[in-house]
Amino acid sequence: MSPCCARGVGKATSLVHRWVHQLRWLRRSSTLRLAALLSGIFALGFVVAIFVALTLGERANERRLDATLSTIALGGAIADTRLDSAALILRPLDDLDGLPDPFVRVVSRGGGVVRLRDDLMRSDTWRVLVAQDGAGSPVFAAVPIEENEDAQELLAQILWSTAGVVVVVTLAIGLWAGLIAQRRLLRINATLGQLSAGDLTARTGLTRSKDDLDDIAKTLDQTAAELERLVAQTRHLSASIAHDLRTPLARLRAQLEMLPDGEERGVALEEASRLSDIFDTIMRVARIEAGQGRDGFEEVPLAELAEDLAETFGPVVEDENKALTLDVKAPAVVQGDRGMLVQAIANLIQNALVHGGDQITLFAHGRTIGVADNGAGVDPAAFADIVKPMVRLDAARSTHGSGLGLALVRAVTDRHGAQLELAVNDPQGLKVAINFTHL
Amino acid sequence: MRILLLEDDAQLGPWITNGLREEGHVVDHFDDGKDALIAAMGQDFDLLILDRMVPGLDGLAVLKSLRASKDSTPALFLTALGEVEARVEGFEAGGDDYLTKPFAFAELSARVGALGRRREGADPTKTTQTVLRHSDLTLDLLARTCTRQGQQIDLMAKEIKLLEYLMRRPGRLVTRTMLLEQVWDMSFDPTTSVVETHISRLRAKIDKPFDVALLRTRRGEGYVFGA
Repeated sequence: MSPCCARGVGKATSLVHRWVHQLRWLRRSSTLRLAALLSGIFALGFVVAIFVALTLGERANERRLDATLSTIALGGAIADTRLDSAALILRPLDDLDGLPDPFVRVVSRGGGVVRLRDDLMRSDTWRVLVAQDGAGSPVFAAVPIEENEDAQELLAQILWSTAGVVVVVTLAIGLWAGLIAQRRLLRINATLGQLSAGDLTARTGLTRSKDDLDDIAKTLDQTAAELERLVAQTRHLSASIAHDLRTPLARLRAQLEMLPDGEERGVALEEASRLSDIFDTIMRVARIEAGQGRDGFEEVPLAELAEDLAETFGPVVEDENKALTLDVKAPAVVQGDRGMLVQAIANLIQNALVHGGDQITLFAHGRTIGVADNGAGVDPAAFADIVKPMVRLDAARSTHGSGLGLALVRAVTDRHGAQLELAVNDPQGLKVAINFTHL
Repeated sequence: MRILLLEDDAQLGPWITNGLREEGHVVDHFDDGKDALIAAMGQDFDLLILDRMVPGLDGLAVLKSLRASKDSTPALFLTALGEVEARVEGFEAGGDDYLTKPFAFAELSARVGALGRRREGADPTKTTQTVLRHSDLTLDLLARTCTRQGQQIDLMAKEIKLLEYLMRRPGRLVTRTMLLEQVWDMSFDPTTSVVETHISRLRAKIDKPFDVALLRTRRGEGYVFGA
């Protein structure tokens, strides 16, 4: 547990961390991505539709106005006379007195919309048309259209803001749904993480049953429960087997020790010892294989591990008139169970001692530790066979000792999530390495 | 020494009892956990030897109850459960040592001896003494030097650890398994002759050049330093 004084700071940091994590998750949320995509399509559709509607509406309006203006001009029949009123200008074409420049320009162009800086007869926007009056003389007519324009603008505003609201609401719904789904996904993800780290009691605890995510959570919980049950059963079974086999072995040992001293008693005791050693190794491999998680893992500096092992086994190798060389290059620190790693490397050295040549190398290169020898080696075609779990070790078993050595190394390697690498040593011999580089 | 033995196996119980009696100990043998607990609470023993799996109350529960009532009698677990987890459980319950079945009687005897002396007070294994002396041999743990008859002896790190372990237990039988567990921190048998090799190296350094041998081998049982 963390000390209480550090808890506040830790809490804040973890909250920030959680938020950053959540934001990263949000970007990967499938619901939110779908919502964003839909909002985008909506927005595009709105833009096109509103643009088309407004443009067409304006055109129709203009045509209607022009038709009205030309009718008014025809009904005028007033050569050389102004017929201006508050809502209409109707004059002969050459009578442009008092009209501002933009107006004059539009008249000379034959008609159109005039937008003025200052109001002319209380309107700043006019529709102008050059036509003929009833007598056939050229006249121009104009009506104020400021109110029309205002109505058009209002319509545009209403349409655009509706579109904006719809897009924002869609995005918000997407975000909300994404957050809800994400909370459950985070929970499922965290549970999976705990399970793979070896905590078999981990559950999502999600009891709702409304959608596919709920189904996944439920199935995950059921699977975890089953896994926990099986592991507990295996553990219980292996404890029972250990007890049921060790007790008669202990009796055998007791009876042999009670026999009178003699060569046969010694031989029998030795055999009994070997029997219990083999049994111990089998149980150990089974335990390591059945175990899960990183319980008991610590930081193991590979250099220190290699040096320690070299000091322990160096003299043993020398006594067999062979040499153990330590080769350390840029050694890393890995997460592991030191005791298990010692056992695995001890097994590799033992194997090299029995099968290898007279030069044994214990190496630690980067995130790799292992043993190489210059003996006859193993045919690369048989590599896959010699590391197979104990069920398939029959062939190897007949070659030396208990033959469980590599099975144990393999179990330890698997338990660490590491790679067991076998190679032909240069120029000859076998090179076995445990590689902690995660793929 | 007065020893309480809790062991339900009809063959192992009497074998251990007889063996310990032959060595001069007084042994009270129980095959039921409850009886053993009652006896241990009412009487004063020098050592408890408890089997992990017995009817009634198992050894672990017996020791937990005793430790809860502030009883600090040394305890040695005997068990058919050899796994590291079981071992850790034993130590957590207040056990002082842990022996996996099957075992040689000499192994049990050596561990009983070690635990018994711890009970007697002046326990050399627990002192913080940093310079160990035995006759003409001196081991300085801080300077990491070793001398005999004034002659400097070069020792490797593991050899110093090994010699320290032996010198802290003069005259006592130390088994191969005890050395593997305590000096090399290996709760498994590495099949190669790690202990034998290092003992013979150590012997070549501290004994061979001198006339009196301090480190003796007891065949099939273990090693005795001094005496």
